[in-house]
Formats: sequence, C-alpha cells, structure tokens
Amino acid sequence: MLELVFIVPILTGIIAAFIPVQLGRGVLLVSAVLHLQITLMGWLGKISPAATGYFNSAPEGMLVLLVTSFIFLFISIYAVSYMKETQMNNESVFIGCMLFFLASMSMVALADHLIVLWIAIEATTLVSAPLIFLNRSKAALEATWKYVLICSVGIALALLGTFFITLSMDLAGVDVPLTFSSLSAVAAQLNPIWLKAGFIFIIIGYGTKMGLAPMHTWLPDAHSQAPSPASALLSGALLNCAFLGVYKVHTLMYGAGMGDYSSQVLIAFGLISMVVAGVFILNQSDYKRMLAYSSIENMGIIAFGIGIGGLATYGAMLHLVHHSLIKSSLFLSAGNILMGYGTKQVKRVGNMAQLFPKSFGSLFAGFAGISGFPPFGIFISELLIIIGAFQSGQYLSVTIFIFSLVLIFAGAARIVMRMSFADTDQEVLVEEKMLRVLPSYALLLTSLALCVWLPDQLYQTILNAISVIGGAVHG
Amino acid sequence: MIQLADAFLAVILLSVLLSLASNRLKALVKIMALQGIMVSLIPLFLAQHQTLEGGALLLMQVMILIKGLLIPGMLFMAVKRVSIRREIEPIIGYHASLFTGLMLILASAFITDRLQVAMPGNQVLLMITAITTLSAGLFLMMSRRKAITQVIGYLMMENGIYLIGTALAKQTHTMYVVEFGVLLDLLVAVMVMGIILNNINSAFDDVDTGFLEELKD
Repeated sequence: MLELVFIVPILTGIIAAFIPVQLGRGVLLVSAVLHLQITLMGWLGKISPAATGYFNSAPEGMLVLLVTSFIFLFISIYAVSYMKETQMNNESVFIGCMLFFLASMSMVALADHLIVLWIAIEATTLVSAPLIFLNRSKAALEATWKYVLICSVGIALALLGTFFITLSMDLAGVDVPLTFSSLSAVAAQLNPIWLKAGFIFIIIGYGTKMGLAPMHTWLPDAHSQAPSPASALLSGALLNCAFLGVYKVHTLMYGAGMGDYSSQVLIAFGLISMVVAGVFILNQSDYKRMLAYSSIENMGIIAFGIGIGGLATYGAMLHLVHHSLIKSSLFLSAGNILMGYGTKQVKRVGNMAQLFPKSFGSLFAGFAGISGFPPFGIFISELLIIIGAFQSGQYLSVTIFIFSLVLIFAGAARIVMRMSFADTDQEVLVEEKMLRVLPSYALLLTSLALCVWLPDQLYQTILNAISVIGGAVHG
Repeated sequence: MIQLADAFLAVILLSVLLSLASNRLKALVKIMALQGIMVSLIPLFLAQHQTLEGGALLLMQVMILIKGLLIPGMLFMAVKRVSIRREIEPIIGYHASLFTGLMLILASAFITDRLQVAMPGNQVLLMITAITTLSAGLFLMMSRRKAITQVIGYLMMENGIYLIGTALAKQTHTMYVVEFGVLLDLLVAVMVMGIILNNINSAFDDVDTGFLEELKD
C-alpha cells in the first residue's frame, strides 16, 4: 500500500481544513513526518503499490517522491513559523492546500497509467492555485489566473498527446494496458508516427508545467507571487513532477528507436530555456523573479542533460536532486528577506550581511550552490553534463550551455551582491527567527553531504532510472 | 444509428460556429451546455461502442450531469454575479471570428483527409468535428478579453479533445475510473477558475483580462 503516500496527505488535508489553525499547523508537521516515513518504507522495499494497474514504484518516480517528501518536511517546519509571524488570511486553506499539493505530487511520482499521470499533474495545478492567490492582491490574482489557464491548456494538450499514444497502440495492434511499464516492453512495436505526435504534444503540455521556454510565461509570476513556502514547493518539487511526465514519454521514444529525435527536441528546449532565463535574469529587479528564472534555467539544464544521453543523464538526475534542495532553500531565504524588508525589489534591499547575517549566509551559500560552485552538488552535476556533452561531440550545444551559465551567473551575482552589501535606508520589519533560518541551512547541508557521500541505494536508483535510456556512469 | 451520430456531430459543429458569433454571455453558456450534452452522447452512436456496458452508461450519465448541468450552472452563476451581459470589444470581431470558424472546419477536413487514419466505423465527420472544436476553443481563448469567455474556450477545447479520444480509442482501453478522474479534474478546474474569476471581479470591478498585464519583464 504505497498509495498511502498520497492517501494520508489527502485525509490530513481534509482534517486540517476543519480544525482550529493552531492544531492545523501541528497536523501539517505530523503529515510531513509521516509522509517521509512512508516514502522511506517504500524505498526500503517494505511496501509497494497495491493498485498495480495504475501505480508502480519506478526508480525515477521514487527519486522524485523522495526529493519531494524530504523538502516538504523542511518547508513545513518553515511554514509553521512563517504562519505565526505573517498576517495570513485563510490559514486553514493554506495548510489544507499544502497537504493536497503534497498528495497530488506524490500521486504523480507513483503514477504508471498514462491518464492517471495526467489526472495527477492537472490536480497539482488545481490544488496549488489557491496557494498562489492567498494574498488576494491584484498581482497575485493575475499570477493565479495566468497559472491556471496556461497550465490547464498546456496539460489539455498533453491529454491529446496521450490519446495519440493509445492510437499508436491500436494501429499497431498492440493490446496491453495503457501503462508506462507495459508499454515500454512493447515500445518497438508501436506505430512510430503517432508515437512521435504524442511525444510532441506531451512535451509541449508537460513542458509548460515544467517551465520550459517558450511556454514558461506563467512561471515567474506564479513563483514570485506565492507565499515563500509555497514558492519553494512549486520550484523544488512541482517542476520535477512535470519533468517526470516528459521523461517517461522520452523513455518510450527511446524504446521505440526514436531516442535520437526526442533527444534533439529535449536539447533544443533545454537550451532555449537557459538562454531565455539568462536574458531575463540580467536586468531583473525582483529577487524572487530572479529565482524563478533560475528555476527555468535549471529545468533547461535537466532537459539538456537527458537529451545528451550517456554520462549526462546521470548528471541530469543528480542535478534534479540538488536543484530541488538548493532552490527550495533559496526561496525560503528569500522569504526571510521579504519578511525582513517588506519588499521584493532588489534596489530597496541592501546591507543584508549586517542586518540579517543568518539569512545572508544561507542566501549567499545557496547562490554559490546554484551557480555551480563547489562544494555543492550542482558543481558535480553540471560538470558531468558538460563532460557528457563533450563525449558525444555536441560542441555547439555545449558552447551555448556554458555561455548561458556564465550569463546567468553574471546576472545573479549582480543582484546578490547588491542585496548583500549595498547601502539601504530600509528598516528592519521582522527579525530573523531560528526556526525560519534552520530549514534553509539544513537543505543546503544535505546537498553538501550528498556530494561527499551519496548513499548506495540512491546511486543505484538513479542508475536504474537512467539505464532505460542508455545512461550510465561508466562508458 | 450512424446517421443519428452524424446529426449530433452537425449540431456540435453548429454550436461551435454559434459560440464564435455570439456576444451574449448567457447565450454562450447555454450553447456550451448543449455542446456538452451532445459530446457526452456521441459514444452511444459509434459503431465500436455498440455494446454498452453498465459502466459506460453510468459514466455517460455522470458526464451529462457534469458537462451539461454542473459546469454550465457554475458559469451561469458566475455570469450573473459579475453582472456582465456581453463581450464588448473582442480582440477579433464577430464576423471575422465566424469566418475563422468556417476556415477551421475546412482546415480540419483537410487535416483529417491527410491523416489517413483508418477510423473505426469510418467516422470521418467525427474527426473533423473534433479538430474544429479543439481549435475553435483555442481561438476563442485568444480572441476574447473577458475571463469568462476564456474559460468557455477552455471547455470547448476540452470537448474537442474528448471527441478525439472517443474517435480514436478503442473501447478496450476505456477504464471508467480513469475517465471519471478526468471529468473530476475538469469540474474542479472550472470551479477554481470560477473562484478566481469572482475575485478578479471584486478586485478590478471587471473580468477583463486587459487589466491583467501588471506582471511582466
């Protein structure tokens, strides 16, 4: 009954909506701990999915599930303190939706049936929409409207793509359940033209949700307008879930012998996303938007790495883990800064190093991490992707890749330096609290620790996940 | 039976054209209700779905309830609450929209012809209707300013996708739990959009998406 991993948050979410807020915060924490425990039990092989026609524990799904569950725990600790200190209206809605959001993302991670995956991804949009417009400001409303509409339309196209894949089954006379696990066994027999059409629609659909340019337009708005714990979750967990949809269809394409085609598409989308992110980061005036564009960049890096294949796929999977850890930490730090200064404008924030030394530490370390400096994990993953790209002889692509990384570093460095050291006349509104600082440090430390010591089970799971598309560490 | 299916499909096509040309929001919602019911009924008349099981019938009823009653009902309430009657100044005018609709039908016929998919029961008109509905929905979303009309465009697009699904898929793939999940998602989506719509209305005193241009780089 690994399905408990989404049943439990649904139930606790319903409970949280009806009980007093103080109790609700406790429910949030308890659910987070419980969720991590169930996930770990799944990892240890103690429990496996019961409804095998709909769900299974594929390695890539388990990886995403573990990352989601892990960062959710720290985000919920942060959120408890955050809720106490901000005047949040509808706190019980917030707690309930956070839990439903966790549930829908867990469902994505476990989904094996193509349409169940679609249902779960659409559900993530719907339950996270209330999180974004919690503030009820005009800007938040606009962000939510764009988010719901653009993502719903995108995901509807993915449904069309799913129907095309069923058609490719019918035309080839293949009669198996509509699940990824059974389809990948017969992928070579599927009708290639309709599989290809399905892939295109699905990458546009789930790519919208993943934030790949040029379908990314909702992402900076939604991520900057949501309350910081929700932004951290959107960026650190939701994007991975959408990526999972793209990745699973890519494995089908690879199995059908059209891996070259889908790889090229992934590389193209990846590079476009990175360049777009770089251009928009350069003159960014809002630090939460900067982080959002950085998420677009990192999703681009992951798509690029998967497209390159070989060693780079390992790098991409590693990148997924480390990006989630570091980016959610950064959004939590950004939340502290927003609470402290009361503004998202870079030019009104300054002198963080003295006013908010702890948040400054986590933001600066996170910035170093996300830019690919050692000792954080993104250094290793980006290096592996670059080496993999050189190995496969994609010199032009890798040149654009490195150029975009430099561009983004330049843009982000200017913003972070300005926030950390420049003068400001802004007053300190809220002092930083230990409970709000520790989660971001903990997430950063995890990334650091995973660099030095990657548990064997994690390593094996990543290898299992990428072996389907010919990815390996050696050779 | 086949002729009956064609008649239903013709009604769907007409409803698409009508929705492109109508400027009264209440009429638009009524058209959507009709279209929803027609779309839900289509599987009844398809050759490959002749042997209807209990599950399929139940699902069809739920679908008529959701697409024909619940969703239009919610939209109707939304139209009433925001007290707007018509779409003023669409981005693309009504005559041009209608013309585009006709062009879309032509294009869909062309695409269907080129696709050369051996349709079960040779349902060419079904595919044409499906592609037209899908693309007209997208067009409606892009060519109108009011948020409500955009929701209607989304619904129309979803109808088109469902039609493509029924046109293409054999019944052996149909799993009622899964189809029900898709419907539920659609229902909740419209509910969420309705709530946001209401909030937009109270924040801006209008549901014109022209106001939603604050956030950009």
